[in-house]
Amino acid sequence: QEPRPPPRPRPRRGPGGGCLDVDFAVGPPGCSHVNSFKVGENWRQELRVIYQCFVWCGTPETRKSKAKSCVCHVCGTHLNRLHSCLSCVFFGCFTEKHIHEHAETKQHNLAVDLYYGGIYCFMCKDYVYDIDIEQIAKEEQGECSVPGLGEKYPTWETTKPELELLGHNPRRRRIASSFTIGLRGLINLGNTCFMNCIVQALTHTPILRDFFLSDRHRCEMPSPELCLVCEMSSLFRELYSGNPSPHVPYKLLHLVWIHARHLAGYRQQDAHEFLIAALDVLHRHCKGDDVGKVASNPNHCNCIIDQIFTGGLQSDVTCQACHGVSTTIDPCWDISLDLPGSCTSFWPMSPGRESSLNGESHIPGITTLTDCLRRFTRPEHLGSSAKIKCGSCQSYQESTKQLTMKKLPVVACFHFKRFEHSAKQRRKITTYISFPLELDMTPFMASSKETRVNGQLQLPTNSGNNENKYSLFAVVNHQGTLESGHYTSFIRHHRDQWFKCDDAVITKASIKDVLDSEGYLLFYHKQVLEPEPEKVKEMTPQAY
Amino acid sequence: MKMEEMSLSGLDNSKLEAIAQEIYADLVEDSCLGFCFEVHRAVKCGYFFLDDTDPDSMKDFEIVDQPGLDIFGQVFNQWKSKECVCPNCSRSIAASRFAPHLEKCLGMGRNSSRIANRRIANSNNMNKSESDQEDNDDINDNDWSYGSEKKAKKRKSDKNPNSPRRSKSLKHKNGELSNSDPFKYSNSTGISYETLGPEELRSLLTTQCGVISEHTKKMCTRSLRCPQHTDEQRRTVRIYFLGPSAVLPEVESSLDNDGFDMTDSQALISRLQWDGSSDLSPSDSGSSKTSENQGWGLGTNSSESRKTKKKKSHLSLVGTASGLGSNKKKKPKPPAPPTPSIYDDIN
Repeated sequence: QEPRPPPRPRPRRGPGGGCLDVDFAVGPPGCSHVNSFKVGENWRQELRVIYQCFVWCGTPETRKSKAKSCVCHVCGTHLNRLHSCLSCVFFGCFTEKHIHEHAETKQHNLAVDLYYGGIYCFMCKDYVYDIDIEQIAKEEQGECSVPGLGEKYPTWETTKPELELLGHNPRRRRIASSFTIGLRGLINLGNTCFMNCIVQALTHTPILRDFFLSDRHRCEMPSPELCLVCEMSSLFRELYSGNPSPHVPYKLLHLVWIHARHLAGYRQQDAHEFLIAALDVLHRHCKGDDVGKVASNPNHCNCIIDQIFTGGLQSDVTCQACHGVSTTIDPCWDISLDLPGSCTSFWPMSPGRESSLNGESHIPGITTLTDCLRRFTRPEHLGSSAKIKCGSCQSYQESTKQLTMKKLPVVACFHFKRFEHSAKQRRKITTYISFPLELDMTPFMASSKETRVNGQLQLPTNSGNNENKYSLFAVVNHQGTLESGHYTSFIRHHRDQWFKCDDAVITKASIKDVLDSEGYLLFYHKQVLEPEPEKVKEMTPQAY
Repeated sequence: MKMEEMSLSGLDNSKLEAIAQEIYADLVEDSCLGFCFEVHRAVKCGYFFLDDTDPDSMKDFEIVDQPGLDIFGQVFNQWKSKECVCPNCSRSIAASRFAPHLEKCLGMGRNSSRIANRRIANSNNMNKSESDQEDNDDINDNDWSYGSEKKAKKRKSDKNPNSPRRSKSLKHKNGELSNSDPFKYSNSTGISYETLGPEELRSLLTTQCGVISEHTKKMCTRSLRCPQHTDEQRRTVRIYFLGPSAVLPEVESSLDNDGFDMTDSQALISRLQWDGSSDLSPSDSGSSKTSENQGWGLGTNSSESRKTKKKKSHLSLVGTASGLGSNKKKKPKPPAPPTPSIYDDIN
């Protein structure tokens, strides 16, 4: 018995009622006039030359010659949708129909648009897309890159198998406002609320979500069933499946216990510690390192974890004698902030001052995240009991130390040090810290250091630099005491919707609920992503 | 609109502004055209509508926002019956009890060593009083009750009442503290190591001699300083089971038990350990690794010893990138478990 051929894809009806019946197996139809053009041996090469010289100029010479010579042969304009005839050397503008006149006169049916490379057929009176010509065009466009502008980001195009699949399956779900796709509860396996919160935060990190949902992970581990990145990938599929029944993350727990032995054991644990351990294992497994033996330099690691979470923390130690500065830059995955009232910190500045920088609630007496960050990046006199050996003085001198951000990560995680266990006391600091929905990290960067005069922060006059702006997308909260408590999280889903995740129960939350919460771990995502040339293949530049 | 070369110098502001305006308008029109082409191409190639969703199927996923219900419209707290399959032992476990189960299953719980020893004892001939102890233990170990109860029952019938070993084990009973002492094993019988899992074996070798007798092919269950075997033999057996990096745990001489019988103090130590011990099993060696990573801004582990059975929230330590301070309670070298716990409790 013959196998049944796959069903013909049903035509989709768009909002305008237009109906397109495209056989996805074959591709776009082109037209008969294009087919007549594609004869002989030379048409490919000739077409390539046209693309290289007149459309996508890859060299300074071709760019110059295009600017000089590509003008309408009738009216001399270089605008008005200039086209080049495909059969002879003629440039004509579209708007004034000069190219149309040429086509009719010479019976040359095809012309190429010099701006975007589309092929226009004068007989069909429309732009046509022929699969072979499209292929050549794609190649030529790819070859052309303008220095300083980086690689052109191509729009997503489906591959043939994807087109077929989509055509056969018209019932689709997407992450959209007021739908549950992308949200799912997590069962508490026995004191594992700390893990559930971190999972919710990670699976709602936009750039990480995009990486895993587009199936970018290629397993490098010797045994994939032990790969935490593969398990993460599976977790994304589970959480974005639309399944309303909460997921049981037992495999994740098992893998974490195997790979981060210090966390193994049935007991309440710290969410921050779990986050760091999980990132570490994920980072190792991205490179196939399952025993933690490979000494990898995070400055040169290109795994998705390092691309997203690794920032550079600069430490400047200034010798008070010779004023020489010794600088080191350490990679960091998070910033841990001391809170007022803790015995280890000294809090010289009055809270509330200048905290309108980030639009935080400017209530006197309320400490803000910005206050904490300012304290974190202030120059600190190390004192006579902590002298540093100065390289130029060749002796031990008193010095000041200052921390600033040299390189900002795509996702910034802030950790409030609420659990205090010094010799004096062990307690949880429950002081409310106000944190903003949007955060500008510019004042805390190494480049902003020079603006400090006598320890006073000079606010930069132009904080409009979008590169350093972040949006809050997840908050992990702890209720209870140091000995015993419960973790819950708020996560942001689809722009401005917030949800509270309490293990298996997900409920809608307001922005006010989020911003009024105590805050233990805060996750911020860069608003604008500038892909660097060598990393563009890994990252997709889209945030909220 | 002929294109011509012109010099920008000598032009007044209004002219320059007009030129700038012109260029700007060209760029905007250019961008719009590009967008139009994208749409046109997507429509003609048939993929413009591909990401449309089917409104009927999306209806099932609308968010619910009502008190007492989650976003899926479900009532809270109905997930007690969720189960999962343990990757280690392949048994079906209630999801909310998975973590405590896994701890025991991997042999890293505070009771794992005791359970392992009990199973070992079960695999040999037991006397009646020992099997009575089994029932008490089972009450405390819900996860193990099913499996071990069965085993215990089985072993009872396997006992050989005429075994020459039995009289010796009766003698031991007199030296022990009380019947409720859970930490019982017979010093004179050995252990069949084939029945042990790797975690149990590892755990065992931290507290017992372990040298395999040539006659019985069983492991010696006496203390780490038992006079019948040498340290060299003990090292060899550890290397045999655990690999070339295995070490012989050190024992403090003041609490050593050299003789056949367990002394009262050692039994007391053992009992104290199981009531509230710190997790100083070999799995803790992982925490020393985190300290190496301080430069990464990683938090270091603080493994607090649990004084009571109440579960404590795990403490987070100062883990800034500058790596200040650490509050580890871990001793520099890992001694045999009974030893440190006595001092912890006294403090």
